[in-house]
Amino acid sequence: MEVEAFITVLLSASLRASIPMLLAALGEAYNEKGGILNLGIEGMMLGGAFSGFAVALITGSVFLGFMTGVAVGAISGLIFAYLSVTLKLDQIITGIGFTILMVGLTGFLYRYFYGRNFPTLGVSKKTLAIPFLSKIPVIGPVLFDQHVVVYLTLLLIPLLHWILFHTTFGLNIRAVGETPGAADAAGVNVAQIRYLVAVFAGAMAGLGGAFLSLGNLSLFVPGETQGIGYIAIAMAMLGKWSPYRVFIGAWLFGMVESLAVGLQIIAVPVQPEFILMLPYVGVIVAMVFLARNARLPAKLMLPYERGER
Amino acid sequence: MNEMGWTERLRPYISLMFAIIASFTVGAFLLWILGINPLRAYQVLFEAGLGKLGITQTLIKMTPLLMISAGLMIVLSAGIWNLGEDGQFLIGAILVGVAAPIINAYLPKIPALLILGMIGFLGGAAWAIIPAVLRIWYGLNEIITTIMTDYLAIYLTSWLVKGPFRDPSVIPPQTPVIPLVRRIPQIWGGVHIGLIIGVVAVLGVHFLMRNSTIGWKILVVGKSIKTAVHTGIPVARLSMMAFLLSAGFAGLAGANGVLGVKGLFQGDWNPAYGFTAFALVYMARFKGGTVIFLAYFFSFLLLGGQMMSLRLGTPVFFVTILEGLMLIFFVVNEYLFQHVLERRRS
Repeated sequence: MEVEAFITVLLSASLRASIPMLLAALGEAYNEKGGILNLGIEGMMLGGAFSGFAVALITGSVFLGFMTGVAVGAISGLIFAYLSVTLKLDQIITGIGFTILMVGLTGFLYRYFYGRNFPTLGVSKKTLAIPFLSKIPVIGPVLFDQHVVVYLTLLLIPLLHWILFHTTFGLNIRAVGETPGAADAAGVNVAQIRYLVAVFAGAMAGLGGAFLSLGNLSLFVPGETQGIGYIAIAMAMLGKWSPYRVFIGAWLFGMVESLAVGLQIIAVPVQPEFILMLPYVGVIVAMVFLARNARLPAKLMLPYERGER
Repeated sequence: MNEMGWTERLRPYISLMFAIIASFTVGAFLLWILGINPLRAYQVLFEAGLGKLGITQTLIKMTPLLMISAGLMIVLSAGIWNLGEDGQFLIGAILVGVAAPIINAYLPKIPALLILGMIGFLGGAAWAIIPAVLRIWYGLNEIITTIMTDYLAIYLTSWLVKGPFRDPSVIPPQTPVIPLVRRIPQIWGGVHIGLIIGVVAVLGVHFLMRNSTIGWKILVVGKSIKTAVHTGIPVARLSMMAFLLSAGFAGLAGANGVLGVKGLFQGDWNPAYGFTAFALVYMARFKGGTVIFLAYFFSFLLLGGQMMSLRLGTPVFFVTILEGLMLIFFVVNEYLFQHVLERRRS
């Protein structure tokens, strides 16, 4: 019984913990498949986390908070698309500029309005148990007694996989990332596709950020994302842009994180920093083993110029 | 034709100037929306760096930026995106913090400082070996791996300083304090020799990249690996060298922080110079003189940001906003400039 309870808590907590990164990684997978590498994801997550938190705090509506997070992410994605697709600016520089700007902007606004009061949203019951299904041992509490956004994410995974790998639209996205010239010749609007994936990735990052401050923590702190956005980029590459594989990777990552918290709670004499280190080691090791034969999309980070070979 | 060459040469400076003006304008607008008088705020911002104290503080702050920038000038020229400066800085810093009491016990001041500087440099370089090997021999993108090693280093150093490397005689987690007499010799009001090392490093790299065969070869590798391979340039060896040198300079900046400014390594210390150095090197277009100017300017702003926060209650993050805006505006300006020029030509 003890063991079952432990596993149940670990699985459900780690699933919830993995959601911010998972959402961002799913968006980034589309982005990268379409030929865009967005290092601004980290900043866009911060934007979603702060704006979502602030709106939820002011209006008292968590739903509006999430909507704001998504909108801020999508607008950031749109600006990023304009800079990298229309103006064809260097994606790495623009992405880094974006992240610096967002770190500054969210930190500035938070400190300006809330100082060091560290406001939190009222702790309410956040999960929505699905009748009957949530009563199944282990699986019930893990998969069917979660936050609405967790359900949404779980539903998105197969949908996103299907769109990317089994529809013409998905084929267009992949074509735009690999051979934009051929896609263009076949009548695919390269710029339009790239705009779409960039806005989508921004919205997903914003939602992920909002889940961090609204779903997981109920508070915002400057720099709250702690590099989750970059891990999301790594996760998208590690999962070879397949939403299913990205999901598994993200969940494993969440497990290590939850383990760190769990060991703290049951007072195992180990420094939390030591455990918090492990996910990053894990990502590097995984990259060594998995990504060696993972080929990046051919036109990743390269703007498309009509008529160029 | 000659005239065109002239505008071409001035282009980066004009882009830079407009980027600074544009970011300050947006910043002023933001302050105005929040009900803060922008003129008053900028007055405070600019006054902080004036006077003897302001100038010395700015010079102290710019030293690590110079060292990290020197490394970035090499590695970015080689077409390698080492974004792991913060981690390499921390590893260099903590090794120096731990080694200093031991080395100080056996060696006189100057040799001890030289060896500690070496330890910082090598520590930073060692921290980049894994991403460098993965990039150069396995073709694994270094952007993500170096950022991962950043976070790894943040937790590793903070674990080490709270656990194994902790000075047990004091309560806060830190390495033993280095006595003032064993720190880097000062030149003027707190400004120490580290500044000279930083300036020399930036200028040295500037001339190395422009006036030496090895610098030229690194530039070729950065422009086109194919060309480099065909002309018989040892791409792997040069890339490795550039990668490790840049990481070494970041480690040296860490050593500078411990030996020149703080005198110890503290738990949860992460000054995060990496992105600032990255932004300024890029905006300086790898030119040594401009790098030094921008490093001074950014430190000047940082100091002004702290003064603003003290006097007007505007959070120090304001300067981070300016920095991000400047970088984005700079890239946009470069684009606009190029387009305007092209249109005028045709």
